[in-house]
Amino acid sequence: MSLSSGTSTAAVEIEGLYAAYQRQPVLENINLVFPAGQWTAIVGPNGAGKSTLFHVLTGSMKPLRGRVRAFGEPIADHRRAGHIAYMAQREAIEWDFPVSVWETVMGGRFGHMRQDAWWRRCIPARWYHPRHGDAVRDALEAVDMLAYANRPIGALSGGQKKRVLLARALAQQARILLLDEPLAGVDPPSEKLILDVLRGQRQAGRTVIMVTHDMPSARRYVDHVVLINRVIRGEGRPDDMLSDAKLAALAVSAMASSPSDDVAGSFSTATG
Amino acid sequence: MELLSTLGNGLVNGLISALMVVVNLLPDTLSDAFQYRFMQRALLTSVMVGAICGLLSCYVVLKRWSLLGDAISHAVLPGVAIAYLLGWPFFIGAFITGALTSIGIGAIERHTRIKSDAAMGLMFTGAFALGIVIISKIASSTHLMHILFGNVLGVRESALVLTLVASVIALLVVWLCFRPLLLYAFDPQQAQALGFNTSVIHYGLILLLTLTIVASLETVGIILVVAMLITPGATAHLLTDRFRSMMLISVAVGVSSAVIGLWLSAALDVASGGTIVLVATGWFFAALVFSPRHGVLARQWRRWRMS
Repeated sequence: MSLSSGTSTAAVEIEGLYAAYQRQPVLENINLVFPAGQWTAIVGPNGAGKSTLFHVLTGSMKPLRGRVRAFGEPIADHRRAGHIAYMAQREAIEWDFPVSVWETVMGGRFGHMRQDAWWRRCIPARWYHPRHGDAVRDALEAVDMLAYANRPIGALSGGQKKRVLLARALAQQARILLLDEPLAGVDPPSEKLILDVLRGQRQAGRTVIMVTHDMPSARRYVDHVVLINRVIRGEGRPDDMLSDAKLAALAVSAMASSPSDDVAGSFSTATG
Repeated sequence: MELLSTLGNGLVNGLISALMVVVNLLPDTLSDAFQYRFMQRALLTSVMVGAICGLLSCYVVLKRWSLLGDAISHAVLPGVAIAYLLGWPFFIGAFITGALTSIGIGAIERHTRIKSDAAMGLMFTGAFALGIVIISKIASSTHLMHILFGNVLGVRESALVLTLVASVIALLVVWLCFRPLLLYAFDPQQAQALGFNTSVIHYGLILLLTLTIVASLETVGIILVVAMLITPGATAHLLTDRFRSMMLISVAVGVSSAVIGLWLSAALDVASGGTIVLVATGWFFAALVFSPRHGVLARQWRRWRMS
């Protein structure tokens, strides 16, 4: 396992990226390389632009300037090919929507189904090709939710919903996984399970990029850390980047950039 | 054009004959009303309007688009009036102003600080007011009443063909684009991340909604069509936790309300649009009380058993 990012190829390459919400700059001059086949943690205080970065990568937000490429090609091509799986921090989901756990996870396959013959789209997926059903079953098994496959999605607890949404990202069998705070609000056993699943993904050669506030887990699991607070504050190995001095500086920089916010305080306690 | 209208009329006659086979199986007291040609036409329109409204109703309810449906249906009025002025078929004008208003709502919502409910309220009342002003100048008030509240008994052959075409389009689109529409309704962020063009899906769905409203205009009218776009879906949502069965139940509620409502309006000699909507509302309250999982009785029963 190589930890030096310089020698590996880039899964995602960001050049000169600027993004803003209503003229309020959120990301400035971001130049980043996410090494392929590695597990990267993005660390920064609330409001640092981490989720915005993901919104740009998933195409739901247009950057003011800059270029984003995946494996050397425009990232939109990879989105359409189903190569990029995304798990949002706050879901835009109505939980009483009438779908089962199985159907929710099958949603991760919809990108691949576009490559199937047109007439196959007219019949339920599991009848015409076992690979979609197999992917869903494997994904649900990986997050230990197969027993709940026929439950309505709204009947699950918060941690179970999170695992199902992780399963949806896994079922996509994507080359790049974008996970926005996958560990927030889950109990310790679920956290362990999610981290182990992600380690398995990394070992299978996939690129995992996650936003997290969980420093102990980041120190233990990830290969690469990006510190961000509107601009890139550093990137490198977890041991170097997640030192107390570096994190304190990151929190202070949050204070300087948004003095009215109390995020710096809550952030430094979260680093514990 | 000649060929198309013969084809349309032939299809309509065929469908009516097929419906009459079913109707004639019913006891005479029920089927007697349908011996007249205008009743047969009304029956066919009601069935189709009930079906497409029921289909689209699922998206309207799940996407919280009730107010948007209301807005589009009202915004159709100036189009009808202008088409009448220019001698165009009414549905062309209706479709244009309905679509323009929904695009206008989206633009205001996206580019200003006005929230969506205010944007809708503002746009559709404006369009509706314009329609009222134009109609007050050019047509009698009975005309206005028919547009506002519908008159399924007086439905014309041309409107019937339009409803038929709209139903076929809606059915095909929902069937062929089932997965993108489902994913967009459930989780638009995910649809975006999978590379689906969500603005095309969004506006496509709105256009489909507009088409449905225009097709339902002569049956239930502008004011009450929104009921047919909400009540069947809401009723189905109380009865099931699966999207496909929700669609089936919703279509069943739509069609049965339209048919029973039509029969009642003929039997009691009352306004057809109103009776159709009242029957649908009746279904909804029945589901609200008796639904096995989400009904009031079932909830009370569970609470009673727990304590």
